[in-house]
This record gives sequence, C-alpha cells and structure tokens, in this order.
Amino acid sequence: MSIVKKILDLDQRVIYLILFVLLAYPILNPVILPMAIQDYSKQAFNFADSIPDGSVVLIEGGNSAATHPQCGPGLTANIYHLLTKNCKLVFFSIGAEQAFWTNREIQDAINKLPAGVPAENGVNWVHLGYISGGESGVAALAANIRSAISKDYYGTLIDDLPLMKDINDAKAFSAVFWWGGSEGSIPYGVRQLVGPYNLPMSGSCTTNEVPNYSPYISSGQMKGIFGGVRGSAEYEYLLRVPGPALGQAMATNFGGLFWLVLVVVGNVLYFIQRGRGEK
Amino acid sequence: MMDMAWLGLVIGSFVSIGAYTVLIGDNPISKVTEHLYTGILGGYILAMNWDFIMRNAITKIQGGQSIYIISLIVSLMLVTRLKPEWLWISRYPVALTVGIGMGLAIRASVLSDFLAQVQATLLPINNINNIVMIIGSITAITYFLFTAKYEGPYRYINQTGRLFLLAAFGVTYGQTASFRFELVIGRLVDMLKPEVAMYTYGFLVVVAVLLFYGYSTKKIPWYKGR
Repeated sequence: MSIVKKILDLDQRVIYLILFVLLAYPILNPVILPMAIQDYSKQAFNFADSIPDGSVVLIEGGNSAATHPQCGPGLTANIYHLLTKNCKLVFFSIGAEQAFWTNREIQDAINKLPAGVPAENGVNWVHLGYISGGESGVAALAANIRSAISKDYYGTLIDDLPLMKDINDAKAFSAVFWWGGSEGSIPYGVRQLVGPYNLPMSGSCTTNEVPNYSPYISSGQMKGIFGGVRGSAEYEYLLRVPGPALGQAMATNFGGLFWLVLVVVGNVLYFIQRGRGEK
Repeated sequence: MMDMAWLGLVIGSFVSIGAYTVLIGDNPISKVTEHLYTGILGGYILAMNWDFIMRNAITKIQGGQSIYIISLIVSLMLVTRLKPEWLWISRYPVALTVGIGMGLAIRASVLSDFLAQVQATLLPINNINNIVMIIGSITAITYFLFTAKYEGPYRYINQTGRLFLLAAFGVTYGQTASFRFELVIGRLVDMLKPEVAMYTYGFLVVVAVLLFYGYSTKKIPWYKGR
C-alpha cells in the first residue's frame, strides 16, 4: 500500500484526537491571532449603539446548553451594552431550556455592570420566560403580551411589574434583538415583528446559520448579525468589555486552520492517487 | 453546603467525556451518558411546559377566564394518539396547530421571504458587489430550470449558476465545520476550568482504562474505522 493510500485511509479517530488537542491547547494556553471585524458584526454593533438611550427593547433569548458557550457571551455583551444606555429590556424565549440560559446570561451581564448602572428586575428589565407555540407564540406575544403570558420567569404577575405598565404589544418596542442560537427561529422575528410592526431587528445565530440569514441583511430586514463565537468575540471587542468569547474564537481559528490543511492535503493526495491510476 | 454550580461542571465534564467516546465507537459509557442527558433534558422540558400550562391556563381558568378550558381540551386531545383506536382524535389539534402556523407564516412570508428578497436583488449596477449579486441570483435560479434544454447560451448560464451554488455550499460547509468546533470548544472551556480540570483529567483516565479493558477483552465490539 502506498503512503498516499495510507494517509487517505487514515482512521478518523486519529483526526478527532488531533483536533481535540488542537482545540484544547489555546484554551489552556491562550494565544491571540489577528482578527478582522466582520461587516455583519460591525453593522449589528452600530445598530445597537444607535438605539436612543432609554428605549424599550425586545430581546429573544434562544441559546441552549449547546449554544450558550458560543452565543451566550454575545448576548451578555448586548445586555451590558443596552443597560449602560439605560434601555429597558423585555426578554422572552420560545424554548423551555432557552429561558433558563437567557436568565443566566442576564445575571452574567448584571454582574459585569459598572457601579451605578441601574439593573433592577421589573424596572430596568423583565424576563417573560418561556412562550410556547413557536412562531404562533411570537405572533400572539406581538399582538397582545398579556394574552400570551400572565406571569414572568420568576412567577410575578405581569401587571405587577412597573416596566410592563404601558407595554401591551410589539408597538411599544423600539427595536428587537433576536438571539436565536441554533433554533432556526430568526425568520419568526422577521415575519412576525419586522414585517407587520416595522420594528428594526438585529441578532445572532450560530456560525452555520449565518449564510441562511444573510439575505435578510441584504434586504434591510435585519440590521446586522453576530455569527457564533466569532460574532460574540467581536461584540466584546467592539464594546471594549473583555469576555470569554475572545479566547474561544482563537481556539476556533486553530480548528479551522487544521481543517483547511486536511481539506487541501486530502484533495492533493486524491489527485495524486488518481494520476497514478490507484483506487 | 456543596456548591451546585461546581457540581454541575463536574457532572457536565463526565457526561461530555462519556458522550465524546462515541467517536471511538458505540460503547456502554457513551450510551449511559447519552441516555442520562436525554432523560434530564426531557424531564426539564416537561417540567417547564407543565409550569407554563399552570401559569397561563389553569391560573386564568381559576381567575374566571373560562375560554382557556378550550385550549386545555384541545391539548388533551393530542394525548389520545397514545391509544391507536383514538388516534384520529389527535389529528384535529394537529391540523389546527399546523393550519394556524402555516397561515401565520404564509401571510408574512410573501412579504418577508419573497417580495423583500426580490426587491433586494433589484440593485443599481454601479459596483462589483451588486453585479455579483445580480448575476449570482439570476444564474442560480436559472440552474433550476429543468425544462430547458442544456445547450446553446443556456448551458453557460447553467454552469455559471452551478458555480455560484457550489460557492454558497462551500461557505455553508465551512461555517458548519466552524460551528461544530465551537460546540466542542464550549464544552472544553467548562471542562478545563481550573476548579474542575483535575476531575476532567481523572475522568479521562478512568474512561480510557474502562474502554481499554472493554476493547481488549472484546466485551465491547471494536468498530473498525476506515
């Protein structure tokens, strides 16, 4: 058996092992590689930055246990950003698990806030928790919040929350941030909030979903998007608030470079093998 | 009192290592951790949905809003699918849910997923990005004209469309690979936190010894990789 065939027939478990070591190394020994800010992230950041101080903003928290490490730091940065602008935030999730992680991301952001920035539950922010029904739930929430939900995540009646006093439907919000994780739910926001209520929207999703939603940015239906851990790292960088995403983005670079080498080597060896007439 | 966050990280570390052993081949450790995760998540989602029903239906019914009884009955009709003879009853709530979902989506889709996208392609031909966007959109759509004969100028348009589609698939593949790395990195960050790193290394050793014993004694069948 030729060396080319041996490499092409390499047991994939060897590749997994090398990849595991390559991904773990930058986490144990942080390395910073140069990183250019993507246009979509810059647009999303500028949009968040342009929201007038004191605006009421709707945020869908869609990160799960799997997507929290990559998109969670971005949502944390987003909450930090908006609370420092004295915006009033109303959170909801269309997944049961996602409501838990959204709550954690809110707490992470509050713990990071500089002294003096108000972040009182019920006054500066409200977490409505889990809304069932997927897209139908979003439509119901947009039309009449109290018809979709009566208590917040902590069990407090919506009517007892000072922030919710004059908020009844989507018309009360100035902007929407849809942190969809890997839910594939960003079109729900575009269809049920951007179209009918003309709300400007931005958000985030996992890296693999960015190509699916980029047409919404080209068409102006979304103002920008943060994609995966790199998007989160870019938000942290643009906000000048260091967080966990930057180190993770570097580890992704290592994985990406290794994958690139594998693809190139695999293709070159394939053509060599074919040139030699081997099977 | 034991720190629950720390305990969560330690258990998470063990479950993650166990789940990743599936890459070596199907084995009892990966199965146990897989079932553990599925069971816990299923239980959590059940509890959250129960809580949602209690807060948003039962509380409202108790408060005199009897209209919510209808939603409860419709929800209960879904459960009838567990008995084959009553399966037909569950089709009504499914039809209702699908119908409402479709109605809501289609109403908005025409605007957001069709008209707005067509509008976004009607760009002035004044820069390279717009030219690429216009040519790419038109040729990629043309690629799906299966009734046209593959000859003459159409052949070149078709081939150009295919190139654009392949480029798009390449981007999607790259992004997907990156997403998978991020999933692993997310777990590794938690597993290698200083307060749990020693446990992670310990679990790695224990799992490696168990698997080595299982494979060497042939108690676990060895999956032959390619």
